[in-house]
Amino acid sequence: MSFAIARTIDEALAGLAAGARPIAGGTDLVVGARHGKAPLPDDLVAIDRLDELKTVTRTALGVSIGALVSHHDIETHPLLTSIYAGLADGSALVGSPSTRHVGTLGGNIMNGSPAMDTGAPLAVMGAEVELRSLRGTRRVPVEQLWVGPGRTCAAPDELCVAVHIPAPPARAGSAYVRLEYRRAMEIAVVGAAAVVTLADDGAVATLAVALTAVAPIILSVTGLDALVGLGVSGAAAAVGEMAATQATPISDVRASDRYRRHTVGVMARRAVEAAARRAGGETIAIPVNRAIGIGAPS
Amino acid sequence: MTITDPSRPAPRFVRADGPDKVTGSGRYTADLTLTGMLAAKFKYADATHARIVTLDVSAAKAMPGVFAVLTQDDVPDVKFGPFVQDRTLFARDVVRFEGEIIAAVAAVDAATAQRAVDAIVVEYEALPVVNDIEGALSADSPLVHTEWAGYGGVDVLVRDRNDASFASIAKGDVDEGMAAADHVVRSRYVADGCHAVPIEPRAVVAQWEGNKVTIWTSTQVPFDARAGVCETLELPNSRVRIIVPHLGGGFGGKCGFHYEAHVAALARAAKRPVRLVFSRREEFVAPDRRREGIVYDFETGVKADGTITARRVWLALDNGAYTADAGFFSQLAAMHALGPYRIPNALAEAHLVYTNHQPSGSVRAPTAPQTCWALESHTDEVAAAIGMDPVAFRKLNAVDSGAEGPSGQTYGEIGVQQCIDAATAAAGYGQVLPDDEAIGVAIGWWPSFSVPSGAYVKIDGDGSGQIITGAQECGTGAVMTLRQLAADELGMPAERFELVYQDTSVAPYDMGATGSQTLFNNGRAVVAAAGQIAEQLRNLAAEQLEASPADIVLADGMASVAGSPDRGISIDELAGIAAGGELLIGHGSGIPPGAPATVGSSCVGDLGMSAWVAPQFSCHAVRVKVDRDTGVARVLHVSAAHDSGTIINPIGAQGQVEGAVLMGIGQALTEGTTYDDQGRQRNAALLEYKLQTCADAPPIDVHFIQINTPDAGPRGAKGLAEAPNVATAAAIANAIAKILGTPVRQLPMTAERVWEQLQGDQGARS
Ligand SMILES: Cc1cc2nc3c(=O)[nH]c(=O)nc-3n(C[C@H](O)[C@H](O)[C@H](O)COP(=O)(O)OP(=O)(O)OC[C@H]3O[C@@H](n4cnc5c(N)ncnc54)[C@H](O)[C@@H]3O)c2cc1C
Repeated sequence: MSFAIARTIDEALAGLAAGARPIAGGTDLVVGARHGKAPLPDDLVAIDRLDELKTVTRTALGVSIGALVSHHDIETHPLLTSIYAGLADGSALVGSPSTRHVGTLGGNIMNGSPAMDTGAPLAVMGAEVELRSLRGTRRVPVEQLWVGPGRTCAAPDELCVAVHIPAPPARAGSAYVRLEYRRAMEIAVVGAAAVVTLADDGAVATLAVALTAVAPIILSVTGLDALVGLGVSGAAAAVGEMAATQATPISDVRASDRYRRHTVGVMARRAVEAAARRAGGETIAIPVNRAIGIGAPS
Repeated sequence: MTITDPSRPAPRFVRADGPDKVTGSGRYTADLTLTGMLAAKFKYADATHARIVTLDVSAAKAMPGVFAVLTQDDVPDVKFGPFVQDRTLFARDVVRFEGEIIAAVAAVDAATAQRAVDAIVVEYEALPVVNDIEGALSADSPLVHTEWAGYGGVDVLVRDRNDASFASIAKGDVDEGMAAADHVVRSRYVADGCHAVPIEPRAVVAQWEGNKVTIWTSTQVPFDARAGVCETLELPNSRVRIIVPHLGGGFGGKCGFHYEAHVAALARAAKRPVRLVFSRREEFVAPDRRREGIVYDFETGVKADGTITARRVWLALDNGAYTADAGFFSQLAAMHALGPYRIPNALAEAHLVYTNHQPSGSVRAPTAPQTCWALESHTDEVAAAIGMDPVAFRKLNAVDSGAEGPSGQTYGEIGVQQCIDAATAAAGYGQVLPDDEAIGVAIGWWPSFSVPSGAYVKIDGDGSGQIITGAQECGTGAVMTLRQLAADELGMPAERFELVYQDTSVAPYDMGATGSQTLFNNGRAVVAAAGQIAEQLRNLAAEQLEASPADIVLADGMASVAGSPDRGISIDELAGIAAGGELLIGHGSGIPPGAPATVGSSCVGDLGMSAWVAPQFSCHAVRVKVDRDTGVARVLHVSAAHDSGTIINPIGAQGQVEGAVLMGIGQALTEGTTYDDQGRQRNAALLEYKLQTCADAPPIDVHFIQINTPDAGPRGAKGLAEAPNVATAAAIANAIAKILGTPVRQLPMTAERVWEQLQGDQGARS
């Protein structure tokens, strides 16, 4: 049983190489252990003081977000709330203000829950994860990172140091929408993210959609190329049906599979609609959930 | 009065316990640490109905660090229960719900205690599980208690096999009434059980000194807890002292006697102080305090002009495995099912049914929110059947001052009609709304409980006062308000009074924070006690000022001669004089008002719930929006109008209504216990059992109708802890039904149920 506080990335990597698990905000790891999901690992290395992993940097290709950037930082960051609004939509829905201050982007994606709220937005944006170990550094597309519920392809000695998101083309917009039974402390029953690029005539030029909590991992909707050239509402409706068809939801105490299948279609449709509005230059406040559907003020 | 009316700002009222709670300096039971203290853990049944074949605690006892392991063999073989004596401290032979305690361990720390619990070996022979409320009443249902007939119980209870308490209220001739109706409307509703969910999971600390035990416990009802310990451990009152540190909420969940005896028995066996602290899961699964699920069949006859001719209701409540304080719920539910309406011919029949679920018990306004939800949904269906506006229908049929209620009680001055007017006006009822929005309206009622209660008041030599009360503060602020009553009686500022609570060896009896009764009864006691001191002060002042005691006025910290304000002496100075002679000490109890009469009705299983002293009334009007694509409903605005008599502490009263409304929204939309096929709770955790959060709270308009109720508590106050929890879910239901065109017949009206209703509806149309 050991608990070490890493002062440098190398100290953290050495800890991982020796078999310790990283702990960032602890909002998954510690809370999960208290709930009996999995016991706390015997050896922990705390990475929460590694300031070099807390930066958001605009690069030539897009943006690099340090693994320790918190959901609160994401939902308030000027660049992320404008150009990468779909990611900010996801972070802004996490837990409560306190969860969002403590919980990190790296923890969210490395925890690997199919209900994670930043997973689908990152998937549709084509993000890559930078994994580092004493053995070296590699980049993995997020869609390849998740291999099962709570499981990633990262080796135990690999630390996620950053997430890289390519810059979106002109006339692109993104959005993430989640089904909510209440407005805080919710876990995704289903959710959907979309990136839409519009052609000059307003038709859909490119389209990517990914779904939360309807499969063992974040599920990217396939066959969307067929929708290119459609108007937004037609494409959105079609995406809704494709999402409902491709989802493989379970029944549990939160919802039946039948209801999940239906609502994930609704979420996918709304995500496409909201992303297209943003692509058209409209500003929709973060999170989009509060501005559309049931969340909309009367 | 509308206390949100800016022209009448609410007076400033600082809760005496506020700073401690807000700054974190207040101590709760789980914060207590005593020298040598051990940690307690329970072994739970897990099985929901089974015969214990083997129970072996030897391995647990042998573990290092374990000081005591107890089973039913180690405590007196006493069956207890306030209405039916159907349970023992630990399971004997048979377990009947998952959270039943089989054994208890005290060990050096919680982890060791848990390891010892895990080392206890239990083998079961499975028994058939009773998992369905209605099925339990069928003649061929397995029995939850095969020896039910031999149990002791309250005499008037009507018991039969799985039916632990049958009650009926009958008036007039229902068949005739139905025959005279132009329309007869029948509806079926099902309410799931739900929970109190106090923020503080319960904790108990026990320490013996000689043959006396002191128990610190997070209870709402310290004297009840003492009685339970005395009964089950066969101790006299004089050897058991209950102290309640700050209580982190209760909502009824901490009423009754729970684990005080287990922990006291562990501490005695271990010869060390012992502390029990519940996890959230234990808080969900173990206590015999869950809001009961209920199944309802309604039938109401109505004339084309809107008058109700008859009502028949059959309902069955989920008692769970043991009868806690739910014995009177059948009669209470029967009253709520008939409702605050003028009904010439009425019959309500209610069964309290044993199942292999966690036992039910008082949760904030037991039986009322779900029964109001069912009745008021039905009421909107009745109004629709004759094409009448549901508010007009209620105005026509609701009781009023001088009217006779469904059980034959004739009311003195009551404010239900004014509540309807105030709530609907504030909600803008009748306005044109988008087609995914609607305003639903419901009325509710709740009794005041008239019971004995006591308090002492004393004024020290420096003029500062103390109120030593048996009442328990559970967060409502009712005990805090006692300061105001004493202060007003004595013409002193409320801040001059300290509150001393809660210690059963110090204060006189009070029933506790239950039944919204604190202000009603203990308020009466404090006024009586303060009145004795007022008389002492007047006599003292009269001597000092050479006036007649009858002419002395106590106000603003002074005793003055009426009509000559310059002839006065400060109360502080009088207190100083008294300190050298006859001390300023008052004691009070007062006489509880008696039960009102009923005429023309007959009640079976009558536990005194068919006639209500100083009844409280309410009307909630709620604007709701439904997302038709997902079934998610959102409450946009709530107007709550209440006749709870005189409002003594407006800020506290407003807080009570706001909190209860939010709880009602949760009951309406997201809070419901679901069971697996063995009767185990599937959502005994806060992630799966969804409370409302502050982010969900809509604007809540609160209106108080303050009228002169006969037989009310001090200054005409009734109660307010439970009443505002009654009508919210019902009003939400009626709004949802308006949007959907049909009611959702199961509570909570979750998004998925609302959506399923829309699917069914569409199916019917196509
Ligand atoms: C009350 C509450 C509400 C929540 N609500 C939501 C919600 O709405 N949506 C949602 O998506 N999540 C939610 N969560 C889950 C959690 O807050 C988020 O997943 C959060 O982002 C996790 O980050 P963390 O830093 O706390 O992770 P930690 O708990 O520190 O770590 C999680 C896992 O990731 C590993 N890990 C952490 N950092 C790294 C790294 N840099 N490299 C490699 N592995 C790493 C850890 O070893 C661990 O296995 C909630 C949690 C709570 C307690």
